[in-house]
Amino acid sequence: MKVIIFGGTPGSGKTSIIKFIIQELKNLKIHYVKFDVLNTDDDLLIKQKFGISTENKISGEACPDHYAALEIPKIIKEHKDKDLIIIETAGLCLRCSPYVNEGLAVNVLNILAGKPSGYGPLLTDADVIVVSKGDLISQAEREIFRSKILEVNKNALIIDGNGLTGEGAIDVAEKIKESQEVKNILTLKHSMPTGICGYCYGNKILDSEETLNRYNQGKELKSRIPNLNCGKCGFKSCNEFIRAVLDKKVEENKCPYIKNKE
Amino acid sequence: MKIKNISILPGYNKKKEKESKKKIEILEGQKIGIVGHTGSGKSQLLYDIEKLAYGETKTKRKIFINGEKPNKNLKTDPTIKIIGYLTQHMNFMTDTTVYDFLKTHIITRGKHNTKEETEKIIKKVIIEANKITGEKIKKETNLLILSGGQSRALMVADLAYISESPIILIDEIENAGIKIKQALNLLIQKGKIIFLVTHDPLLALDTDKRFVMKNGGISKVIHTSIKEKGIAHYLSWINDYILDIREEIREGKKINKLKLICTPTGEEK
Repeated sequence: MKVIIFGGTPGSGKTSIIKFIIQELKNLKIHYVKFDVLNTDDDLLIKQKFGISTENKISGEACPDHYAALEIPKIIKEHKDKDLIIIETAGLCLRCSPYVNEGLAVNVLNILAGKPSGYGPLLTDADVIVVSKGDLISQAEREIFRSKILEVNKNALIIDGNGLTGEGAIDVAEKIKESQEVKNILTLKHSMPTGICGYCYGNKILDSEETLNRYNQGKELKSRIPNLNCGKCGFKSCNEFIRAVLDKKVEENKCPYIKNKE
Repeated sequence: MKIKNISILPGYNKKKEKESKKKIEILEGQKIGIVGHTGSGKSQLLYDIEKLAYGETKTKRKIFINGEKPNKNLKTDPTIKIIGYLTQHMNFMTDTTVYDFLKTHIITRGKHNTKEETEKIIKKVIIEANKITGEKIKKETNLLILSGGQSRALMVADLAYISESPIILIDEIENAGIKIKQALNLLIQKGKIIFLVTHDPLLALDTDKRFVMKNGGISKVIHTSIKEKGIAHYLSWINDYILDIREEIREGKKINKLKLICTPTGEEK
């Protein structure tokens, strides 16, 4: 089984290009997962169009990329019978992008959205970079853009893509066919930025004292729960549960595994 | 890389019929028109050529260069890329001057020119661009404020002198603001093969032959007659005449003489 992770800023054309790629790979057993923050119906549209299995994962209060990294092992476990798992990230963070070491990391890069040097891991750790919306500018500028990508990521295969015509989909599909099957425990290509402070535990008041308090409370609570993200408390992740407890929206005994204070 | 000829091994149209019986040959220096209704397969044909397709696209066409299957790195390495593309949209997004832009492009093309050579090429591109557009481009002009005509002219000259791709694909280029025939001549002079999607009679009738697209395939190949070429010349003369008047209006002049006698285009008035 192969795991293909698509990253790219919102509006770069990830979903459109993925549709053309699925079309090219329709003889494989594919599972498609869309991560987003608020809502999405891309999974339903793709299910309708291609009849493959799909699902969406809404991160809500959590960072969508951290959430994806938490969920990917579960998805793989549940879909061992598939040839290919296509994961489309929310694409909100250029720094977190949850690319893994096996399979393929594909960045759909909107040529109109700024300099390649400003992107970080989303671009620099990708194996394949699909440059989209290139039809809106001159070829000379496309060539210059390409050389700027090479300055920050020498190893990626750069493909001109178009979400309207499907240009580039054949080349990505070809690369997917060549990519390695998942064999070992997956590793993130880069460590994600830390996000551990009082704000992560739901503090809203911009005050260092308050933030520190909230951080200490959160850390204490975290040490007493199993961090399994089992969902039995009604929240998607333990962190969301901690925030709700600290916001006094729920009692801490909602967690069936919680240990008492020492 | 020197291109003597391209051949297209026919593929299949949307009805799964073979689009033509024999191989279609195109020679160095030829202009090929591609005409047909929306959805008839014009863009797909350009795409197959641009990709140097070898049976993997939906039409299953195969493109041969100089009678051989094209080498893989011809498709991917931009410094030797043999296909130049003039798209409908030629907007710029980089906030820089014409001079700096051309310089960056020359460096990107990786020809390692000396400083003097680079300066010479930049100068040449701007001079040639100014021959095909009415409004003069200056090297210190910001790219973002170029008019549509100026952008098109600059890109044509760039294709001729910097990109130097021997095969040029042109997708419905607008002729507003540029002397389109002179622009194409600039490319042809350099021995290029041009594929041109267009319904502009001035361009479509000035080709060596034109492919008529239907149902996703090449349904007919028409060799342009001498009569058609004559009509194209006349239309081109009218286009240049309109462009001249346009410039005079821009300069605040009154237009009081009417030219009725057509002189062959391409020659100095």
